[in-house]
Amino acid sequence: MNTLRKAVSLVLLVAFCASSAFAAGAQEQVETGGTLNVYSIMPEKYATTIFEEFTNDTGIEVNFVRLSSGEALARIIAEKGNPQVDVLWGGPADTYEAGILEDVFAQYVPSESQEIPARFRSPDGYWTGIGVIPLTFMSNTAFLEEKGLEPPTSWNDLLDPAYRNSLQMADARTSGTATERIYSLVQALGEDQAFEYQKKLHQNIQLYTKGGAGGAMPVATGQAGAGIFYIVDALDIQQQGYDLQISYPKEGVTYGVEAAGIIKGAKNLSAAKRMMDWASTERLGQVMVENRINYIPTRPDVTVTNPALDMSKVTLLEADASWKGENRSRFVERWIDEVVQQ
Amino acid sequence: MDRRSGSTVALIHISATIGIVYSCQAAHNPIAYKEGAMIERNTLKPTRKSLMKSDPALFSAMVAVWISFAIFIFLPLLRLVMTTFVIDGTFTFENMKEALGKSYHIKALYGSLILATAVSISGTILGYIFALAVTRTTLPRVFKVLLGGVTILPLISPPFTSSISLTLALGPNGMLLKAFGIENFMIYGFLGTWISETLTYFPVAFMVISAILNTMSANLDDAALSLGASRWRMFRTVTIPLSIPGIGNSVLLLFGASLADFATPLILGGHSFPVLPTEAYLMITGMFDLRGGASLSFLLLIPALFVFLLQRLLIGKKSYISVTGKSGARTEFAKLPRELSMVIAVVCSIVVAFILYLYAIILWGSFVEVWSVNNSFTLRHYEYVFKHGRKAISDTLIIAFLSTVIGSVLAVIIGYIVQRKKFIGKRVFEFSSLLNYALPGTVVGIAYIIAFNERPILLTGTLSILVAAYVFRYYATGIRSVIASLEQIDPALEEASLSLGASSTRTFTHITIPLIIPAVLAGMRYLFIHCMTAISATIFLVSVRWTLLTTRILESMTELQFSQASAFSIVLILIVFIADAIMFYLLKLSTAKFHKPQEITNEKIGA
Repeated sequence: MNTLRKAVSLVLLVAFCASSAFAAGAQEQVETGGTLNVYSIMPEKYATTIFEEFTNDTGIEVNFVRLSSGEALARIIAEKGNPQVDVLWGGPADTYEAGILEDVFAQYVPSESQEIPARFRSPDGYWTGIGVIPLTFMSNTAFLEEKGLEPPTSWNDLLDPAYRNSLQMADARTSGTATERIYSLVQALGEDQAFEYQKKLHQNIQLYTKGGAGGAMPVATGQAGAGIFYIVDALDIQQQGYDLQISYPKEGVTYGVEAAGIIKGAKNLSAAKRMMDWASTERLGQVMVENRINYIPTRPDVTVTNPALDMSKVTLLEADASWKGENRSRFVERWIDEVVQQ
Repeated sequence: MDRRSGSTVALIHISATIGIVYSCQAAHNPIAYKEGAMIERNTLKPTRKSLMKSDPALFSAMVAVWISFAIFIFLPLLRLVMTTFVIDGTFTFENMKEALGKSYHIKALYGSLILATAVSISGTILGYIFALAVTRTTLPRVFKVLLGGVTILPLISPPFTSSISLTLALGPNGMLLKAFGIENFMIYGFLGTWISETLTYFPVAFMVISAILNTMSANLDDAALSLGASRWRMFRTVTIPLSIPGIGNSVLLLFGASLADFATPLILGGHSFPVLPTEAYLMITGMFDLRGGASLSFLLLIPALFVFLLQRLLIGKKSYISVTGKSGARTEFAKLPRELSMVIAVVCSIVVAFILYLYAIILWGSFVEVWSVNNSFTLRHYEYVFKHGRKAISDTLIIAFLSTVIGSVLAVIIGYIVQRKKFIGKRVFEFSSLLNYALPGTVVGIAYIIAFNERPILLTGTLSILVAAYVFRYYATGIRSVIASLEQIDPALEEASLSLGASSTRTFTHITIPLIIPAVLAGMRYLFIHCMTAISATIFLVSVRWTLLTTRILESMTELQFSQASAFSIVLILIVFIADAIMFYLLKLSTAKFHKPQEITNEKIGA
């Protein structure tokens, strides 16, 4: 009796362990060609809308999970032996550059790629730009009035003691928005001056947020006075009805290129290629404009209706993705050592 | 496609559970008792015979549990260690040296220790106060029910939700600060993290300690009082010493929980107060540095080990048996002195009011158009939740249900083996079982992806990986409360049953199980709640096929959809609250039954 029971329990336990593995295998085989699995770094609400339009146009169903750029890359690297998704959608191009070094992206040149300016796509076809987002200052109107300030128009305006403990901006260890801020400063002021500047700026910082948009809500609700964000995040919260000022520094800002690319070893390769092709057409830009998704389309032939996305009066600084990729970790370490720990 | 494969996996897990139940019963088969001549109390030293011969049932259960440890605890850890210490096939400390070389990381180590100590102390004290209020005072029943209900609020909501409402209340320009005219209060840093974690985790202490307070024998109170002790003296010399196992467990659990929590410090820690799990998380997710993050998290194992040993020393070899089955009629617990009751009532009221206020913010937020700008009433956010969040809701429920069932069965087996059996490597066994719990969730998550992304054990993207991550992480409370509960129960009860001719299976189901059921249910509640709300490990494990409510909430938060996040949170809280109410009702029932030891002795043993 006991021996029997012992045997039964052991067999079942082994079955428990083994079956999970088989179940996983079985699950994969059910996969069909008409679906696409995606990690989206682009916020969920935008991705939902864009993928719905993609499904309408192509009949390909999209399953996706939204992750931050760091998480997405960490997962793709960890899943290298057995990729769980076919496409990485959204997120700054320098994330893709870091991924190329880990050999996780496949090369593919989408059908209408030549219509996209070369600085918005990978020279080797690893990623294609799907939107452009400059950095911007965003400040709370009530805060400015209370302190008797004008919306900041220079990086130096933010050093004003009136902003003491009132700035929220992203943490360079987690956020692409924050590294973009460092790139902007290095391009506008020179590297050493950029870090000198940030040491002074640190005095006015209330909190470094983990996500790039993390400080936007506090600025909107008056918890913080101002911050530095990507235009897409700033406009998004302004569109919700908060009283906010958007302004640009006269010294200039760099911009992020939001990209998309195919994962090496993608299980639904043809569907993945169709998504990249679709993303290189005018259609993507039109979907963004129609749905007030405030990326500046990478296709110059898409007409942008929102005046806030008119960049003709803004000083835009050029910084290519490979320069960003090469300098990223060094800048972040300098930022930790010199700015946060001072 | 999702559903079909989902139900296959579900079926497999259920059959596995039955298997575990089998081995569980087998494990309880104390052959030694049957053979009359060699009645072996667990206080005796183990015999020199091999375990397989002396207790084959125990042996088979042990093998089964060790196999599950090997797969779901050691394998991921081993793969992680290899990622950390092996570069190009050679063993090296390079990654570790690099991680330790930074003063910021040393600061984070101290930060973690200080925070975990502070939280485990404050949380346990608060939990003890609440447990006393419910079990040992004459406060109105309504008030006690309110305490029970409100204290689980912080527990059943994802930690970052309460952190956000805490920021709105006590952050810069916060509503409470404005109302009281307080200036220059800085929530970001140690203070905010400490307050938030204490509020989040003291309910664990409350649950563990009140389970212990409930299962003490009231006859001891009577004895103390009739021997002329004052109520104060009785409280000091009877109640407090008898609750030491509960206090010890509570401190250990809270220390571990705080040590591993990354969500709260992520939101409230700020840059001046780094802690290790957050730094590890930042390294992995921000710097793409898996090796560095893994190295940092290894530092966390040292304090975890330290606390574990401390708890062993603390409880030590003293006897805390108070339920013996030999006592007279059950009476009510003696009440605390009046002055103490008043203090307890005041403290509880303040804490409850504050918690209710924090949750009112979230409730309000879920019904307004745009938070703090357009406060007109709308159901829009709930429509969104039920339209776009339905899959997340059902996935979360399936995962939580499976994890709770499997986790509690395992917890009973492991808790029983650890407390009632003597064998070589017992400490190792117990510590192994708690390892995933001691590690920060982020690391467990990453370790699971590394380990289970290749054949033969291919689990990424499946239901199994989420269930396994939850089970082996959060059954810790179950194990602890089973152990704490068994520590109070004299093995003589089981021996009596056996010597009176009841079979070992009957003894287990009719004596041991009824006696430990309050503890098991307390553990189940916690397990279920965690499966519904935890995020640190599973944020790496959710897939395009299986997603979780908590990740949806975090998403809404990062997308600045405060109202939507609030609506998701309210739905999650309601689901958990209802499920928890059911379990609490069961706990009440079982405790009520347990409160009549006389009947148990007559009915069950005498049968």
